Amino acid sequence: MRYNLKDVALSTLKSALLLVILEVIGSAFFPAIGLTNFRPAFSVLIVLYVAFKINTPLLPFVILVIQNVHSIFSIEGWAISTLIGVLVAIAVKYFKDLLDFSTAVSTIVVVQISQIIWFVLLALFLSIKLSDFSNFLTILWQFIPESIALSLVSPWFFSLLDKMWVSKSQNSRI
Amino acid sequence: MKSIRIENSKWGLINNLVVLIISMIGYVRYDYDVGSSSFYQSALIETFAPIQRGTTSLKESVVKIVDHYFLIVNTSKENVKLKSKIEGLQNDLFVMSEVQKENERLKRLLEFGKEIPKKKVLAKIVAWDSSSEFRVLRINKGSNDNIKKKDPVITINGVVGYIYRVTPNYSDILTILDQNNRADAIVARTRSHGIVEGVSKDKCILKYVARTEQVELGDEVITAGLGTIYPKGLKIGRITKIDKENFGITQAIEITPSVNFNKLEEVVVFTQADKVAGKDEI
Repeated sequence: MRYNLKDVALSTLKSALLLVILEVIGSAFFPAIGLTNFRPAFSVLIVLYVAFKINTPLLPFVILVIQNVHSIFSIEGWAISTLIGVLVAIAVKYFKDLLDFSTAVSTIVVVQISQIIWFVLLALFLSIKLSDFSNFLTILWQFIPESIALSLVSPWFFSLLDKMWVSKSQNSRI
Repeated sequence: MKSIRIENSKWGLINNLVVLIISMIGYVRYDYDVGSSSFYQSALIETFAPIQRGTTSLKESVVKIVDHYFLIVNTSKENVKLKSKIEGLQNDLFVMSEVQKENERLKRLLEFGKEIPKKKVLAKIVAWDSSSEFRVLRINKGSNDNIKKKDPVITINGVVGYIYRVTPNYSDILTILDQNNRADAIVARTRSHGIVEGVSKDKCILKYVARTEQVELGDEVITAGLGTIYPKGLKIGRITKIDKENFGITQAIEITPSVNFNKLEEVVVFTQADKVAGKDEI
C-alpha cells in the first residue's frame, strides 16, 4: 500500500493512540490482576506491521514516533528500539516478496520469526550497552512467552491495524 | 487540499539514514543507570500516568465490590431476618478492616528505618515498566514531594531499588531485580563483600565474592552502605543457591530478594532532604 503524507500522519496518530491503550493494559492492568511478569511488547507488533505492509519513505519516522510513545511507559527508551525497528524494516524490504500474510498461520509464523530476530538484536544491543554478555540468553529467553502470545494474536491485530491504515484516497480508488 | 506525494526510494534511503543516525546517537548517549526525561517526555508521563494509576485503582475497587458482594451473599444466607442490619454492619466492618489494614501497613512502613536521618515519602505503586526486560515500577510521588534521582526505595521487608526517573508527580524505580541496578552488599554473617545485580523476574546474583568465603544457603545479604545510594544495613535477601567451581577466584551466588515484588503495593522513598522535626510525608 502506498500513502501520502496526510494519510501517514493520521494513521500514525491512530496507531499511537492504540499503543497508549495497550501499554496501559500491559503496564497497569496486567500487573493489577497479578500478571506482573507478563508484559507483551505491543510496540514491536505495531512496528512489524508497518514494516511488513506500509510502503512509504516516511516509515523510519513512523517507527520513531511509535517507539517514542513506547518510551513513556518503559525505561527502554526510544533509541534502541527505533534502531532495531529501522534495521528490521530495511531487512523486511528485501524479503517482502517471500512474506505471506494470506492465512492466519503464515502470519503467526512470520511474526514469530521476526520477533525472534528483533529480540536477538535487542539482547545484543542491551548486552553491548551494559558491557556484559553473561545475561544474553536470559534476556532472550524471557521474551519467548510474550512473543508467542503476540504472534498468536497478530492475525487479529493486523486486521485491526489494516483498518487504521486504509487511507481515504485508497478507499475512493476502490 | 492537494496532498504531497512522497513515494521516492531516494527519500526512503535518506530517511532511513537520518533516523538510524539519530537513534544511534540516542543509543550511545542513553544511560540505563540513571534516567533523564526531556520536557516533552515528562509532560507525556504526567498525562498518561494518571490513566495507569486509574487502572490500578479500578482493579482495587472491583476487588472490593466483588469481595463485598460475596460477603453480603454469605451473610444473607446465615440470617435472613437481620439481613439489612447485617449488611450495613458488615459493610462498615469491611471498609474499616481494609482501612485498618492499610493504616497498619503504612504505620509499619513509616516506623521502619527510624534511625536513618532521611525524610521518608510514602508512595503507591501505579504501574510496571511495559517492557519485560526491565524491572521498573512507577509510583505516584515525584519531584513535588522532594523525590530526586538515586533516592533509595524500601519496604519493611527490605530494599526495593532506587529512583531512576522523576517527573513532578510520578517517579520510576529501578528495582534490584533489574540487571542495570547494582548494589554494594555484604553477607551479614560472614561480612563477605560483593555486588548484588538483578538477573531475572525474582532473583538477583551476588557477584565478586571470593571462593574462600564460607557463605552458606540461607545467609542474609544486606546493603554495605559503601555506594552513594543505599544506607547501610538494609535487607536485600537470602542466599538460595551457591555454585562453587573448581576454578576461578569467585563463586556464583543466587539471592532471593526479601521483598515480594509480585505483592508490592506501597513503598517508602528516603529523600535526600534531611528529616525536619521528625516529619515524614504521606
